[in-house]
Amino acid sequence: MPNLLLEVRNIRKTYGKKILAVDNLSFHVMEGEIYGLIGPNGAGKTTSLRIIAGLIKPDGGEVLIRGVNVHESLKNNRRMIGYLPEEANTYPLLTGMEHLKIYGGLYGASSEDLEFGARITGLGNRLLKKTSEYSHGMKRRLLLGAVLMTKPRLAILDEPTSGLDVHAGVSVRKTIRNYVKSTGAAAIVSSHNMLEIEYLCDRIGLIFKGKIIEEGRPRELIEKYGVANLEEVFTLLVRGVES
Amino acid sequence: MKGYSRLKVLLEKEIKDLFRDRKALLTTVLLPLISLPSIGVFTLLLISQQPVNIALIDEDNSYYVNPELNVAMSSDWVVGNLTLALTSRGYSVVNLPSRSEALENNSIDLIIIIPSGFSRNATSVDSVGQVEILRRANVQPALNAEGVARGILNAISVNLSLIKIARLYEKAGLDPGVFKPEAFRDPVSTGPTILLSPEGERVGVEAELRTYIARLLVIAFAFVVTPASAFVIDGIIGERQRKTLELLLASPASLGEILAAKIIVATILGLLASLADITALLAYVGSLVLAYGGQLFILLDPGLLLLHSVTSFFTILVTVAIATPFITRTRGIRSAGNVAGLITSVAIVFFFLGFFIDFPKLEANVLNMLQIIPYTQSILSVQNYIYGRPDLSIINLLALALLSSLILLIAVKTVDKEKILLTQD
Repeated sequence: MPNLLLEVRNIRKTYGKKILAVDNLSFHVMEGEIYGLIGPNGAGKTTSLRIIAGLIKPDGGEVLIRGVNVHESLKNNRRMIGYLPEEANTYPLLTGMEHLKIYGGLYGASSEDLEFGARITGLGNRLLKKTSEYSHGMKRRLLLGAVLMTKPRLAILDEPTSGLDVHAGVSVRKTIRNYVKSTGAAAIVSSHNMLEIEYLCDRIGLIFKGKIIEEGRPRELIEKYGVANLEEVFTLLVRGVES
Repeated sequence: MKGYSRLKVLLEKEIKDLFRDRKALLTTVLLPLISLPSIGVFTLLLISQQPVNIALIDEDNSYYVNPELNVAMSSDWVVGNLTLALTSRGYSVVNLPSRSEALENNSIDLIIIIPSGFSRNATSVDSVGQVEILRRANVQPALNAEGVARGILNAISVNLSLIKIARLYEKAGLDPGVFKPEAFRDPVSTGPTILLSPEGERVGVEAELRTYIARLLVIAFAFVVTPASAFVIDGIIGERQRKTLELLLASPASLGEILAAKIIVATILGLLASLADITALLAYVGSLVLAYGGQLFILLDPGLLLLHSVTSFFTILVTVAIATPFITRTRGIRSAGNVAGLITSVAIVFFFLGFFIDFPKLEANVLNMLQIIPYTQSILSVQNYIYGRPDLSIINLLALALLSSLILLIAVKTVDKEKILLTQD
């Protein structure tokens, strides 16, 4: 029976006085599970992921990893979390390998970790080139390798395949799947791509206006709403909330 | 993992990122290396292309011997002496027949007229030989030429007066061995100025040059604070815009470590610019010293250069430490640049004050008020060294180091990670 890894309890975040980005959001993630967070633009996905990663403090609620509050014990939890932001970029004058060494160095990575990270990227000798010569897909794979190389217990991946072509997207999804399977860690993945979520995630949470409005296994949700795919579940639910 | 290990990793990253940006690095270091000597070379070149034209007009054109004193004077001789003295100093001298011709010629900057009756009056016992000098306003080199001409005319006047006094002695039957003409011509005289060090010891003219160099070194601080601020802006706002900051913020590195690495590397960059400034300054002043026949070694005071480098380091550190909390709260590189510009302007004002004012000589109550401003310590550190007070200079340097560390600590503690991340560019 897998253990509970992450518990998000009623987190709330307001920007300024008017913008309610996250509104009493709650969900949990088990070890060895990939949890998908889907929702339209501005639904609160990135803010939620940043709160879970400890980058932003919530106005209310709490985030617990193995029962420990992330924001109260940020230093200890940092090593357990790997976070890949949606629009993360690389330093053009540094090589791919230097990126791995820098991020690895900050987490106290061993040489085995670096080898593991390099394998995840699948970039081979191209790791020795400056990232100014990399395509968007190569950069994304490099950063994914940098995030996963220290084997975080919780990988938070905000739109990991955003802007990638089909081939690169498949490769990244395979990497995430293999990582979770081989390490027993958990991952939270946000995406606009319903097919990706359907293929990749064990469970999903549909976030809209800062709240989870539906949650479950992709196949179960499709059956529950009697539609052909997850995209239709999403459309149906959003329309229902808006009306 | 210890904090210093993470700081080391971050420093390596910042240094690699900086030193691989060769264009930015060359601009920061080469610009001062080229600009200051260029000013010197172009000034010398352009001065030679802008000759001062002097017209000498001999309206007297006579030779006269005073029958009573048996003293002779020739206007032609005066013109000859002036021509020789002025041409030997590189001035262009023409002899013109009339003043109207000189006045109509726009290229003439200085007109010296020996009026009619000059020789007679200069040798007389009841009159004075006047020389007229007309100079075009706002031509600085013409003012220098006027000084040379007045010097020559003064020497002629002194010699002539001594001869006249000697002739009067003869007439009065006074013994020139007892009655010295100089005692009547110049009863009050001043010797050459003796220069003293702050301790009261005699020093050479190079001591004045050293003080001048120290003033220039204070001004040089103004040129090193700007590139450092620009690097911090690029390091924080630029990283946010290039989308590399969030991944760093999500790592175990604290915000303090991330900022400290950026500030330290910015300071190193500023120090490189400072060393380039000093090298250029020495090349510029050194060439002038050599041109005037001085010795270059008087410029090379290793203690002063070392002090300047260390003071530069902390001056830059304190500037970027003050600027960082403001930079992190601004939207975009432009507004961050404005904020940093405001802070560096305050620094530049102080360094210009340091060029004109001897801070160690300020009234105690005024100086005490200024002491809390870190730039005062930068200026005092250099000026106290020049005034022969290395002990005070070290105290000022330590105070600057303390203030900069304190401000850096406050800067790092007051910056909010969330604000850096969420501020919209």
